[in-house]
Amino acid sequence: MKSLLSFLLLAATLGLLTGCNPGATSDSPRYTVVFSQCNNAEPYRAAQNELMTRLWREQRDVQLVIMDAQQDSAKQIAQIETAIRTKPHLLIVAPNERAPLTDVMRRAMAAGIPTICLERDIAEPHYTTWIRADNREIGRLAGEFIVQQLTAKHGEPRGRIVELAGLKGVEAEINRKGGAHDVWEKYPKIEVVTEAVANWLQSTAKDRMTEILSAVPSIDVVYARNDPMAMGAYLAAREKGREKEMIFVGIDGLPGDAGGIAKVKEGMLAATFVYPLCVDRAVEIGNRILREPGFQPEKVYTMTSRLITKESLDAP
Amino acid sequence: MRLWQTLQRAGRPFIGLVLVFLLGLILSPRDSSGMLIFLTAGNLSDILLQQAEIGLIALAMTFVIIGAGIDLSVGSVLAASASRAAVLLVRWTPELPLALHLAIAILGGLGVGAAVGALNGVVITRLGLQPFVMTLATMIGVRGATRWFTDNTNIDFGFGAAASSRFAAILSDKSLVITLWVVFAVIAHLVLTRTVYGRYLRAIGENERAAAYTGLPIRAVRIAAYTACGALAALAGLIHAARTHQGNPNDGVAYELDAIAAVVIGGTALAGGRGTIIGTVTGTIILGLLTNTLRLRMVDSNVELMIKAAIIILAVWLQRRDRAFPVSP
Repeated sequence: MKSLLSFLLLAATLGLLTGCNPGATSDSPRYTVVFSQCNNAEPYRAAQNELMTRLWREQRDVQLVIMDAQQDSAKQIAQIETAIRTKPHLLIVAPNERAPLTDVMRRAMAAGIPTICLERDIAEPHYTTWIRADNREIGRLAGEFIVQQLTAKHGEPRGRIVELAGLKGVEAEINRKGGAHDVWEKYPKIEVVTEAVANWLQSTAKDRMTEILSAVPSIDVVYARNDPMAMGAYLAAREKGREKEMIFVGIDGLPGDAGGIAKVKEGMLAATFVYPLCVDRAVEIGNRILREPGFQPEKVYTMTSRLITKESLDAP
Repeated sequence: MRLWQTLQRAGRPFIGLVLVFLLGLILSPRDSSGMLIFLTAGNLSDILLQQAEIGLIALAMTFVIIGAGIDLSVGSVLAASASRAAVLLVRWTPELPLALHLAIAILGGLGVGAAVGALNGVVITRLGLQPFVMTLATMIGVRGATRWFTDNTNIDFGFGAAASSRFAAILSDKSLVITLWVVFAVIAHLVLTRTVYGRYLRAIGENERAAAYTGLPIRAVRIAAYTACGALAALAGLIHAARTHQGNPNDGVAYELDAIAAVVIGGTALAGGRGTIIGTVTGTIILGLLTNTLRLRMVDSNVELMIKAAIIILAVWLQRRDRAFPVSP
């Protein structure tokens, strides 16, 4: 009896929940698009989700489903495995990490599902197309910008840099770092004092930066591999009254009140580099894959970046 | 008579399993040929594969909990084992035959887990620390040590012909992983129900003082349970590494809670003394079926967490009612 009762309770709850799901409506859309997002909690990812939802909504016969892997590769693998069973018409994956997602995306392709790899890549090219942003180039731009700022401050390219790293092993982290270091190599007096791993997160960056501020007496530049970490560093420095001593450089340049562009406008960040969301191109290409039977997309599309400073924002 | 009691005790979670399975059938979408996707062999085996890591950990966790303990360190141990094996496979390139290299990596991972488990057991029994406190400490410490040994980077296996790729191919094989889970579940069940060890463990969990007066080897029994728990968490770590194609020192966070949830849903009492392996396996599968049902319907993953919570409360509530009306002997 009790079991029956609990079953009914459970069934009712689930029925309610899934009843709200657009998948359960009677006039089922023609196409299902699954977007496997690695972590909704990052602002960059939230902006991607928002744009993705808006652009697909314009296509009345497409149902978009976003699955959040919550920065857990094992969870993302499991979610995609289950998605493959439902045979969506298009799969878009923003992989959490390179190696872990490679095999499951191979299996999606093997199941005949067109697969778009969004922004980050995987270890082997198991995708129909990869919409990428050039992190190496962004890293170089950031590196050069920092050299200019140091030269302006000290009269020569010299100074002490603190780096805040995102998730290690991820393409964005490797190349945003690598690009900047390619530039700095030529300047022996530019010194990276320390690098802390903050996994892309503002709260973690603030904690790491607080520790660094206690240990490192003078800092010229904080180079964070995304804007939230740059903001975390800024907040830590401000708590200690040291925010004027150094400049903060981030990457992503998202719009909105919490985005990097607003922070540059408010003077907290010295600069940010727009990291393209890649979503508009993904929807454009995805749509053509759905609707044009013979359409063969290019293997890779590279999106371009843009430097944002107070000057560039003030310029007409 | 014993068998009947076991079945009765295991019965409740088993009914739960049937109900959740029915729910999966009802809510399942259909594929283009009208077949229920939930019911396809591929999907059902996906569930077992995805639950195998938690399932293996939950087996040994059942032992620890029946002995009136708890092990919070299993998630960290999983990461430690995965990273240890990855270091041995990728950063270490010995002039050894492939099979030997693989065996050393596997034993290296398992060794780390067994060592942490044994440490837990020894400190808890010798120094009298509460299991919660001691394993909380190792949960933190082992995580730190793993990050330190790996410089807090994940170690990619690569996709060539190297030992690491072979390791990943072998240990991520669906049928092997599921077989491992089944084999260890059968062993655990037999140890718990058919051996002196199992009887001692339950006696200790039921009433430690009485067990002490009877002269049971309390320390040895407990240390064995914690060691087994570490070793099985390490085995789960090896599978995890193979499946994610890397050793990541930050993986396995909160896995201990999933394992404990599976044990509790399976009817094992957190107070110790009472519990079955059949229940734990059932609990693990219930969680897997639910997750799968919701994912097939593309329900938001946060809703998944809320429903999991409801299931845990429901299961424990059923247990409570069970106690209020005890089965007469």
